[in-house]
Order: sequence, then C-alpha cells, then structure tokens
Amino acid sequence: MSPVEIGTMAIGALVLLIYLGMPIGIGMLSVSFAATTLIRNDTVALRMMSQVANDSLEEYLFAVVPLFVLMGLLVTISGVGRDTFDVFQRLLRRVTAGLGIATVFANAIFASITGISIASATVFSRVAVPEMTRHGYTKKFATGVVAGSSVLGMLIPPSLLMIVYAVLAEQSVGRMFLAGVGPGILLSLLFAATILILARTHSDFVFDSTVDTESHPDITLLDVARKAAPIGALMGVVLGGLYGGFLNPTEAGAAGAFGALVIAIMRRSLDRKTFWNLLVETGQITVSVLFLILAATFFSRMLALSGVPRELAEFFLSGSIGTFGFLLLYLLLIIALGCLIDSISIMLIMLPIALPIAISADFDLIWFGVLTVVAVEMGLLTPPFGLSVYTIKSAMDDPDLKVGDIFRGALPFVGAMLVALIIIAAFPGIATWLARL
Amino acid sequence: MSDTTKDKGAAAIARRPESRIEQVWHMIVEGLAAVGTVLIGVLMVIICADIIARNTMGASLPLISEAGALLVVMIVALQLAATIRANRLARTEFFIVPFTTRNPRAGALLSAIFDLVAMLMLGLIAWGTLRVLEKDYNAAEFIGIVGIATLPTWPARVLILIGFTVAAAEFLVRIISAIRRALGGQT
Repeated sequence: MSPVEIGTMAIGALVLLIYLGMPIGIGMLSVSFAATTLIRNDTVALRMMSQVANDSLEEYLFAVVPLFVLMGLLVTISGVGRDTFDVFQRLLRRVTAGLGIATVFANAIFASITGISIASATVFSRVAVPEMTRHGYTKKFATGVVAGSSVLGMLIPPSLLMIVYAVLAEQSVGRMFLAGVGPGILLSLLFAATILILARTHSDFVFDSTVDTESHPDITLLDVARKAAPIGALMGVVLGGLYGGFLNPTEAGAAGAFGALVIAIMRRSLDRKTFWNLLVETGQITVSVLFLILAATFFSRMLALSGVPRELAEFFLSGSIGTFGFLLLYLLLIIALGCLIDSISIMLIMLPIALPIAISADFDLIWFGVLTVVAVEMGLLTPPFGLSVYTIKSAMDDPDLKVGDIFRGALPFVGAMLVALIIIAAFPGIATWLARL
Repeated sequence: MSDTTKDKGAAAIARRPESRIEQVWHMIVEGLAAVGTVLIGVLMVIICADIIARNTMGASLPLISEAGALLVVMIVALQLAATIRANRLARTEFFIVPFTTRNPRAGALLSAIFDLVAMLMLGLIAWGTLRVLEKDYNAAEFIGIVGIATLPTWPARVLILIGFTVAAAEFLVRIISAIRRALGGQT
C-alpha cells in the first residue's frame, strides 16, 4: 500500500472508532501508531509517539488552558454573571423582548471574562431563564436564547477554542483573540435582531402571555454601578492587560484567575471544599483538552508523513472544486460533525487535514480560524449532541423541560449564526481588521 | 456527560465491596491527581509573582516560562489516571450507550477492547518515555540559562513516566471490571 492509501484508511478507521465510542484521543493515538508502523516501522512509530507525549505539551502557552478554565469556573460560582444580567435588565427594560436582548448582551460581556461556553450556559440558565419565564416568555424561547448566546463565550476572547486553533495553526493567541472581537459583536447584534424579529412576527414562540404584569426589580443606578464593578475590573485586567501589551495570554489567564479568586473570596461564595472541587474540575477539563491536543499532534504528524493533506490540497485546488468549493465543503462538514462530536474534538480531527489545504490555498489563517470556530460552535446547538443544550438541561433541573424544546428554541439562533458565517466569509475584514492592526 | 457509564460503575462498586488492593490503588490514583491539582494553584501563583516582579522590579523572575511549560506536562501526566477513572476522556455515546443497554455483555466486551487498546498505547508511551528519560539523564539536559538559573529536566520526565504508567494500569483495572461484567452478565 502507498503511504497515501494508508493515511486515507487511517482517517476512515478513526471515524469508525469514534462512532463506536472509543475515547477520541485514544482513537487518534492508535490509528496514528498503526499507520506510522505501516508507512515506516514500529521503532519509528514508538519514537514518534513518545516524543509527542513528552514534547508537544511542553509549551508555556498551554498553561493558559487551566488558568482560563479556572477563571471561568470561579466567576460561575461568584455571582458575577447574575450581576451582569441585572445591569442589562435595568438598561433594556423598555425594549420589546428586552429580557431576551439583555441575556444576549450580558452573555457577550460575560464572555469577555470566560473562555468556556458551558460556564455561560450554566450561569444564565439559572439566572436569566427563571426571570424570563416569570415575565411571560415561553420556556422554549428563554432556554433557546441562553443556549444561543452561550456560544459567544467561545468567540469573544478569551476563548478556549481560539487557543486550540492558534496552537494547531501556529498563529499568535493574542491575534486570534483580537480576531474574535468583531465577529462576537456581529453575532450579538444578529442575535438581538433575531429576538426582535421573532417577537414581532412569531410572538407565540416568544411569549406565553403578551401582557407583562410582573414588576421589574427596582435597582438604582448606584446598584448598577456597584454590580458592574467586579466584571469591569476583571475585563480591565484580562482584556486591558492583553491588548495593552502588559500581559501575554498565559499571564492574562493567571491574573484573571487570581482576580476571579479575589472576587469570589470577597463575596464569600467560596469555602475551602468548593475551591478544591473547582480545582479538581479544572484539572479534569485541562487533561481532557490537552490529552486531545497531544493525540492530535501525533495524528497530524502521521498525516504529514502519509502525504494525504498534500494530495487533498492538489485535488481541491487544481480540480474543478476550487478554493471556495473547498471552504464551503469544509464548513458544511464541520457543521455536520457538530451534530455528533464536541467542539474541540472536531477542530483537532479536522484541522490537521484541512490546514495544509488552507495554507496552499493562500487563505488568511486568522480569518479561516474565525470561520472554523463559528462553524464548530453551531454544533453546540444542534441535535443530537448539542453540549450547550444539555448543559442547560442539567443546570435547570426541571423535569417539564424537554431537551427537544431547548433545541427548537435555539434553532433561530443557529440560523443567525449561519448568517454571521456567510457575512464573515464575505467580509474577512470583520475578523482580520483588528487582528492585523 | 457520561452519567450512564458513571452510574453503572458506581453500581458495580456498590454491589461488590472493594478489596484492599483496589482501595490502595484508588488512593494512589487520587493522590497523584491531588498533587496535580495543587500544581494548578502553583502555576497561577508563580505566573502572578512573575507579573508583579516584572512591573515593580523591572525584571522577570528566572525560569518562569520554562517551569510553567514543565508544570503543564506534569499536571496532565499526574491527573491522567484520575481523569480516565472519572470517565472524562472525550468520546461519543450515540452508539455505545444504547448498544450496552441492549446487550450488556457485548457492550462490556467492546469497552474492554477499547480499554485494552488504550492501555497498550499509554503503556507504549511510558515505555518510550523511559528512553527519553535515559537520554535526558545521561546528557544532563536542563532548562534555563547557564549561570543564572537552571533546572534538570529528568525529574519532570520521571513524573511523566509515572503518570502514563499509572494511567495505563488504570485502564487495566477497567479491563478487569469490564470482563467481570461481560462474564458475570446482568448489569
């Protein structure tokens, strides 16, 4: 067999193993080991694999993963999310479907201090959904808004997905973070527009009763300032430090985690046991992400050895499909995979194959990364494996709430994301302008 | 995410009291993970200390970025076994979970096969790390700058070796319990 045939079979075998339920990292390690053994021999395969295990994670940059995860978990328990929501609720109380829009913008702000979507989904399903249902919104819509806007967490910096992409594509994390700002704002505006349109045209989708008699909590402007202070301070540390050039991404993560810790302690929302549990949780998320990165590094070296990406690049770029055909196919494939696998796994499986093609096609890799992240995130909302939706379901702990309802509620927002994807594809400047400044 | 498998594991443990060896084994796995957990805190603290040092004294602390990099690898290696034990490795469940519900024995067998592959891969990595360790030790590989501050890399390699070995052994434990389920039937 030629190396290209072996590489192609390895990809096929990987897809089958993942479908059967083998842990994805183990699947990537084993097919890569087998394929490298077939292409070269077992000594080379063993050396490559242990080299990857020892070297691939030994990067200062990867320290960013546990730090931002810890920060995300700390702000989740410290009530910062609730405060953000309160502030926007106060500001938007005269607007049609104002609570829905408040959820979107509160999420956008909250996203700028957390890099994981599950954090946003957990916080806002507990904070925003009860408030919206109290004001006569349907549960389907309320949970749909929370699910939809939770994807902002991974788009607006800091973002775990951006970090993973930056590592695989050898782009600067700081630039990838900057590249998420424009698309994040675009997506927030599209979500807000979606809510307004739905409230006008399909009011039974949004509201149970059109007359909202419930009172809004009366908070004074002083309260608003007080509630906005902690999140403002955290944003200042993380984003200010990052963009002001005082901190590199890893340091921004450390400073942010420390700041979040201080806020949590000051609010007395943290005892010793909770803190330890948060650290354990941080460790497990970190390990599952970094183990996947380790496995994907070996997978991509094996692919490079097999020459599959080169052949694919030739096939796509010299054939009748062309660069935009490739882009379209790639994005569709990611969206389809999003129905089945979790976000980070998709990126780690697809990017080793697709990046070499994107490079030969002369794509701007920052723009390509933003498109990838938005497409991957649609998977958080699509059945059957919509992680955000399941997070909301388990955070709500409401037996009447059906998973199917949340998926239906989130559907309009999937549509909005598709629109955002097309706009960003057509106007790369939205993503690249700030990053290339 | 993998509540079903976790519940099953819990049920299996509840039915059969843990033997002494199993208890000791769990203590080892959890103990290593606890060290890794503490290291996350250490990582945050040393990086914050570096930021403060740079902004007040105008000079970075030595070795921070090198030590940070090694800490990340150590955190992963130390917590790998506990993560496996907690069923937190990313996987899809739309085939194996319904399949196991319908055919508990065949499902357990399939899990045992996956765990066997996993054990082989992690075992091979541990085996390969032995060679890296030997090389680092003999060549006295170090990180940092000569004359200012240096750290040898081999102790970190030892931790990586231990981490992957324990993780491979954790898969062996899972294989044994999966085979028990496959033979013993009705779970």
